[in-house]
Order: sequence, then C-alpha cells, then structure tokens
Amino acid sequence: MLWVDKYRPKTLDKVIVHEDVAQNLKKLVTEQDCPHLLFYGPPGSGKKTLIMALLRQMFGPSAEKVKVENKTWKVDAGTRTIDLELTTLASTYHVELNPSDAGFQDRYIVQEIIKEMAKNRPIDTKGKKGFKVLVLNEVDKLSREAQHSLRRTMEKYSASCRLILCCNSSSKVTEAVRSRCLNVRINAPTEEQIVKVLEFIGKKEGLQLPSGFAARIAEKSNRSLRRAILAFETCRVQQYPFTSNQAISPMDWEEYVSEIASDIMKEQSPKRLFQVRGKIYELLINCIPPEIVLKRLLFELLKKLDAELKHEVCHWAAYYEHRMRLGQKAIFHIEAFVAKFMSIYKGFLIAAFG
Amino acid sequence: MGKRKTVVLSSSDDDDKRFLLRSKTRNSKAKSRPSSVPRANSTRSKKARLSDSCDISCNESNGFDEIKLFCEDFDEGFSGFRMSTGSGRSNGTDLWVDKYKPCSLEELAVHKKKVEEVKMWVEKRLKRQKKEFCNNVLVISGQAGVGKSVTVHVIASHLGATVCEWNTPTPTIWQEHLHNSNSGVRYMSKLDEFENFVERTRKYGLIPSSFSGGSQASMILLIDDLPVANGRVAYEKLNKCLHLLVQSALVPTVISITNCGEADSSDNSPQNWEELQLSLQRAGACKVAFNPITVNSIKKALSRICREEHLNVDGEQIDIIAKASGGDIRHAITSLQYFGVKPHHGLSLSLSNGTPTYLKERSDEMNSLDDRFPLPFGRDETLSLFHALGKFLHNKRETENSTSFEQDAFLLKERFARLPGKMDAPEKVLCKAHGQARPVTDFLHENVLDFLSEEAIYDACVVTSYLSDADSLLASLSGTITRNYEAENVIQSAAASVAVRGVLFGNFHPLSSRWHTIRRPSLWQVEQSLRYNKLEMVRQRCIVHDGMRLSDLSVVATEFKPALKWLGFRESKGLESQNVSDKDLMLDDESADGTSFDDKGSETSDDEIEDW
Repeated sequence: MLWVDKYRPKTLDKVIVHEDVAQNLKKLVTEQDCPHLLFYGPPGSGKKTLIMALLRQMFGPSAEKVKVENKTWKVDAGTRTIDLELTTLASTYHVELNPSDAGFQDRYIVQEIIKEMAKNRPIDTKGKKGFKVLVLNEVDKLSREAQHSLRRTMEKYSASCRLILCCNSSSKVTEAVRSRCLNVRINAPTEEQIVKVLEFIGKKEGLQLPSGFAARIAEKSNRSLRRAILAFETCRVQQYPFTSNQAISPMDWEEYVSEIASDIMKEQSPKRLFQVRGKIYELLINCIPPEIVLKRLLFELLKKLDAELKHEVCHWAAYYEHRMRLGQKAIFHIEAFVAKFMSIYKGFLIAAFG
Repeated sequence: MGKRKTVVLSSSDDDDKRFLLRSKTRNSKAKSRPSSVPRANSTRSKKARLSDSCDISCNESNGFDEIKLFCEDFDEGFSGFRMSTGSGRSNGTDLWVDKYKPCSLEELAVHKKKVEEVKMWVEKRLKRQKKEFCNNVLVISGQAGVGKSVTVHVIASHLGATVCEWNTPTPTIWQEHLHNSNSGVRYMSKLDEFENFVERTRKYGLIPSSFSGGSQASMILLIDDLPVANGRVAYEKLNKCLHLLVQSALVPTVISITNCGEADSSDNSPQNWEELQLSLQRAGACKVAFNPITVNSIKKALSRICREEHLNVDGEQIDIIAKASGGDIRHAITSLQYFGVKPHHGLSLSLSNGTPTYLKERSDEMNSLDDRFPLPFGRDETLSLFHALGKFLHNKRETENSTSFEQDAFLLKERFARLPGKMDAPEKVLCKAHGQARPVTDFLHENVLDFLSEEAIYDACVVTSYLSDADSLLASLSGTITRNYEAENVIQSAAASVAVRGVLFGNFHPLSSRWHTIRRPSLWQVEQSLRYNKLEMVRQRCIVHDGMRLSDLSVVATEFKPALKWLGFRESKGLESQNVSDKDLMLDDESADGTSFDDKGSETSDDEIEDW
C-alpha cells in the first residue's frame, strides 16, 4: 500500500493538517442535520481525506466498506436510449462517482442516475441517518447543462439524499449550485504542516530523517501533501538511509517539459517549433492535461528569461490558456503560445545582441 | 425493316428463371403493346427515346420487379434507331450526342492504343475455342464521357458481335414500396437483382445462341451500370458477386466503371470503386484505363459535327468548348449543340456570327485566367482536397503588385501588405474542393511549418495564432445542445476562411516552391491514442490503489503514475506476498481487456483511414 493511502487519517480526530475544519465538520454532523457540502481547494490539500473521514463520522466504520462497481446504465433520452458506463464506489450509506468521466454526456448521469440513486432511500433503522450521501468528484469539470440539472436534483431529493461535491475551483461551479451548499474551502497545507506530516510518517515507519530533508521535499512539493508523500516514498526507495542533500527526483513529465523549454530557448525557427510540437504530443498522449503542460512550460521558460520579457510572456500564456479553454484542440493553442514566445524572444535577442 | 430483329428476354416472378424468347420487329411492337398496362408502357417508351440510344427498352411488363435483358444487334440497331427517331421527330431537335455517336473505329475519339487494346482483348476472346480456359472479364475505367461504352459497342459491331447489356431495373421508391407492400410484392434492391443476374448468367450462359442464327454466335456482355454499394455489407456482397462473375463468366464480359476521379474528396465511394477495381484485377480481370479525351480529339470530333450540321463555328470557339469540357466528349458535344442553338433564337448573335476580335480577346482571357471566365457551358471544375491544400501552403504570389497604383487603394503598412495571390479567393478554392473546416484546419496545422522559411519565426507566430483563432471558432458551437445548422454553417465557413487566409497572410516569406509531401495530421493519431490511454487509465485507477480510486485523471497522470514508476520495483515485491491470488486475477483481467482494446483501436483507426 502506498504511504498516501496508508497514512491517510481515518477519522476527523486524527486529521493533522486541517484540524480546525475537521472539528467544525464534526460538530456540524453530530449536532444537526448535514447540509449539502461543497469542498474546494487545490489538489493535494486533503479534500478527499476529509470527506472520507466525515462519512465515517456520520455512518460509523461500515462506511469504509466500499465496493467498486462498474455498471452500464441505460438512460432514456427522449427518442433513443444511451448506454453509459460509469464506475462507482459504494457503501450501504454512500455512493461516490465521477460524473465528468462521461464527457459530454455528463448531464444524463446527473439527471438520471443520481435521480435514481437518490430515490432509493435507505431504510431508517435505529440511530442511523435517514438519507444517503452522494459524493460527486470534479464538479468543476461538469458541463453547464449538467450543473443546471444538478441544481434541480439537489432541490428535489434533498429529503432523502445529501450531496457532497468536490472540486478544485469553485469559480467553475455555477452560482446556483454554490448557494445551495455549505462551501468549505480547503487550503493547500503550508510547508511547515507538510514537514509535520512527513515527520509523523517517518516516525511511524521508523526512518531516520536528517534535518532539513523533509523541508526540502516540502519545498519541492508545491504545497501538495500528496506529492510530498509520494516524493518521500520514492526517496525512500531510491536511497536509504537518507542524506540531507539527497536528490529529490522530479516527475518525469516535468523533466520533459523543462527539456522542451530549453529546446525553445536554444533555437527559434519553424523547424524547432515542429519538433516542439512532437514533444508536446508526447506529453498529451500520456494524459497530461494541456493546461498543466502550458502552465509548467511557462514556469520553466520564466526561470530562464530576462525580467524585461516576463510580463509580456505571461500575458500571452494567459491569453492562450483562455483560448485553449474556448477551443477544442489544445495543441493549436499551446503551439501558438510557443510560436509567440519564440518570436518575442528572438526579437529580444536581436535587439540586445544585434 | 423486317430484317431487324429485337430480342427480349425477360424473367418475371411468374415464369421464374425461365427465359422467354421473343423476336419481332420493333415498329410492330410499338403499336401492338400488350394492353394490360398501357399507361406504363407509353411513358416507358417516351423515356426510352430520351435515354441512351442503345438501351431502347421494348419489353414486356410482367411484374414490377422483372429483370429485363435486352439484346440487340448493335450495328443494325443503331442505324435503325436513327432512322426511327428520324421519322418520328425532326432531325434538328435530336440530341447530337446520340446522332453523332461513332459507328466505326475511325470515328472514335478515344486514343487509338486503348481502342486497340480492347479490340485485341475482345478478338482473342471471341476467336478462342469454348473449352480453353482463360479469363473472360475486362474492366474499363475512366471518367464520365470518355467513351467507354461506345468503344465496346463499336468494337463489337466491327467484329460482328452482339452486345448484351444488363438492363437495370427501375429503382423502387420508398413510397412505392410502401404502396406495394400490401400486394405482396417483395422488395428487391438493385444489388439483389444484380446478384440474381450474375447467378443466372453463370449457370445458363447468357442466352441460348440459337435464337439469332449462326452468324451472331459471338456475344459480349456489357455491364455498364453497377449497383451502388453503400456501406460495408453491401460492398462485400457486390465484391463477391463480381468475383464470381470474373471466375466463371462464360461469355466475354466488359464491366465499365466510371471513375469519379479525385474530384469528390468528401465522398468515399470513389475509393470503393478503386478498391473494387483492384480486387477484380486480383481475381484475374484485365483492366484498361481510359484517359480523359484530349482536346485535339474533341476538337476534331466537334469540327466533324459542325461540318455535318452546316454550323458556322470557327476554330476558336471549338477550342474553348473543347477546353472547357475537361475531357468529357459527351459534354463537349452537348455544349456545341447548345452553342449552335443560340443564334437561331437570336440571343447572343455576337458569339457565333463571329466578331473575331472579340472572340480572340475572349480566348486570350480564357488562357490567362485559367478557366475562370464564366462560360455559358463548361463543367464546374472540382479540385481535390490535397490540390487545394497545396495551393494554400505553397502560397504562390505575383512578383509585383499591379494594383498598387490605383488611387482609392488602401495604403497598408509594409508589413501588412501582401502581393496578390495567384489563385482565386481562398473561399472559392475551398468550395471547389469541398473542404470542410475541421479537416482543412487540421491539415494546414500539420503541414504549414514545412512551408515557412527557415528564419521566419514571426511568420510562424502569425500563422499559429490564426489557426488558434480558427480552432476557437470551430469549438464555439460544440457545447450547445440544440444544433443550429445555419449558425454552424456560418461559423464553419468563417473558421475555414480564417484558417486559410491566416496561413496565406502569415506566410510572408514562403519558401521557393519545391516538392513537399502533405502529411496526414498526426493530431488524429494523437487523439486516438489519448483516448485509448485515458480508458486504460480509468480502468487501472479502479483496480490498483485505494487513493487513486476515483481521483482526478489529471492527478493520476501527473502524480501517481510517475511515482508508481519509481516505486514499481517495490510494488511487485511487497504486494505479491499480500494478495497473490487477487493480483493474478487482476492480471488476467487486464490482459484480456488489453486485447479487446487493441481490437477496438485497430478498428477505429481503419475507419479513420478510410475517411481519407
């Protein structure tokens, strides 16, 4: 088992990072009926962990007994029926699913499947809650229509069903949905908090941590606890006992992006642009989201850039990132950004060195 | 008249598979039609007069879906037709295409070599003994109007053979079928009919040759009108059918296939035809490809007609017509007829009465403008998609700007000014090539960088930004539920024009033209493998680790996967002891799934390729 899973706090009491949030949630659930919840925050901040712990708080340990179900749903969409395959994670009390997996057909999931699940209210046995919880991941990736029908579902079945929504950015969730939920923002953990967690894991595993090592991992992790723990575990595999100046290997795709960046800096020509395109294709094929590629590329380029140009380059990166969201094929926009950068940089070089 | 013989062979539902032989003179037949369905017959006879001369359908109408096999001695029949139409109508209104159908080998406008080739083939087949085995099928391919069928007819008449055609049934319209469905008439598609026909000719030969006496023992079967096979299944059926025919044809058979050329790139039927030709060749059929008829040959034919019609048309006009026809002689003759009709109605006298200076001008213009002048006749030229793409990418421009001295011209800054292009408006070219916005954009994106000069990164920047605009435009309607086709149309054409004009404008310093291949967008391949990888990841996500379960795909891709790669070594060791059986099961599952995915992958890729 990965350390990320092994040392995931199981109850709200054991949470290290967001203790205050955890205590509030506990109070909320024990004292009164739970409203719909919307958790949002950057990746690796502990949203999922909190949700799992919350469920356990509500329903007891049996909420952890989940089984994976891969089911094909037949949805009647007016004139035809649509087959939708969807993976769900379900216990007796809750169902967790990822509606955006269905792509553009996500609204059928929200409309039909959730409706159907919400209808089946669990039998109200002694001391148990009379509702079911639906955990929806990546709500911000739902299409607009899907979010609208989500709103309807929330209202209609709120008696028998609670929704816990989870997303990275609440700005992409419609106002209507947000106002019907209790919004819980989960911050990215600070580096000190990450160090604390790493030291906790180190103690449990019985590892010797040289001073400053945990801090270095935390620094590299970009304030994502998950990344920090994964990196920690990789270091453990690569070299133990730790030395304080041990190399922390970056992710392979990040290395690849920085390679692309240095390619771009070295030569600016249509031919090079074509080579860069090939490398970006490579990244995209491996399911690295184009937004992340663009963001990382900008980051790498900025590292090597004169301060003078930074502003302009950032502007264009933002411009093409927006374009990418509007458009269909990311490569067009990433490439346009790269070309723009090359053109700006070359102009700069010519102006500076003639 | 009495000498002329008409043979009608028909088999209907009533007398299934039995051949009805009948021979009578045509004229008597026209009068004494069976009175059972008089209306149908009268319309049919009219149609027959209008349609191609060789398939005059004088036939029995015994049922709706009867198969008519009509044979006639072409040589006699042809002249007879001319006579009969001549008596019925005035000569002047006759279609020249039929009237001046070549009757001898000399009159054929088709290239001598090709004619010779076909002739040799037919001769060889006709001369040889019955028992000798050799292949009996010839495939003639070529554009419309290059004289495929006529060549066969003329050669047959030259050699004294009979041409039999598979006379295609009248297609059943859906409403008609619904109407008939009560009366118990079974629907038969053209393909079914063809299948039956092939089956019969294989078994019984074509026609008992006794009917026509010894002199006409030699026979050629001409299949001019292959059923359209739409979709895989139908295509396979047709292919099988033709294979059977190739393998076991008893009489020399000529199949004529009309190439649509590369013209209709949006349609994949021409590809099917080509595939069909190939598979026929593999089965042992000979193939002769007819090229478009040369301008000179067309000119010769047209002048001949002019002489015979006493039409006063000078050489330049004929030249224009011949050039505009694009190698389609039938079209050229029709154009000439149309041209010849005009002066009688006094519409544009100047054209034929001949003010030579004007014509001269015009033909010059024709040459310089490269068929762009709107003629009252002439075929719409189509371009293949690749041709159009080549035009855009090579970006040929005039060497100097001739219009810049006009007074009211906008003054552009130097970096925005471009020399006029050597082609039509890009939209027009796109329209000719049936270019759709998405594939055109993809193709341009894939290939444009090859055509930029080495140093011109600024150009590349402009081009890519325009392509990015085009992509945004294309995507702007994809999210909506209700499809508004009109708006979609506008956006599509706008996007295409942004992409194309962007490429043309941005490529300020085009490379001197040299040979470039145009690649298929690798983007499609990338998208496919991306889809595949995503599915794979979704599947693995549920199996492997708790934490990955239902977490964001991007998180899985960017964080778990690289880490797992590092940890892979430990994973295999550590986990095995814990749950070996579980893992084994999982692996089995995986491998099974893997193969099925592979299959799917290859299928989809096939489809993609087929589209192009």
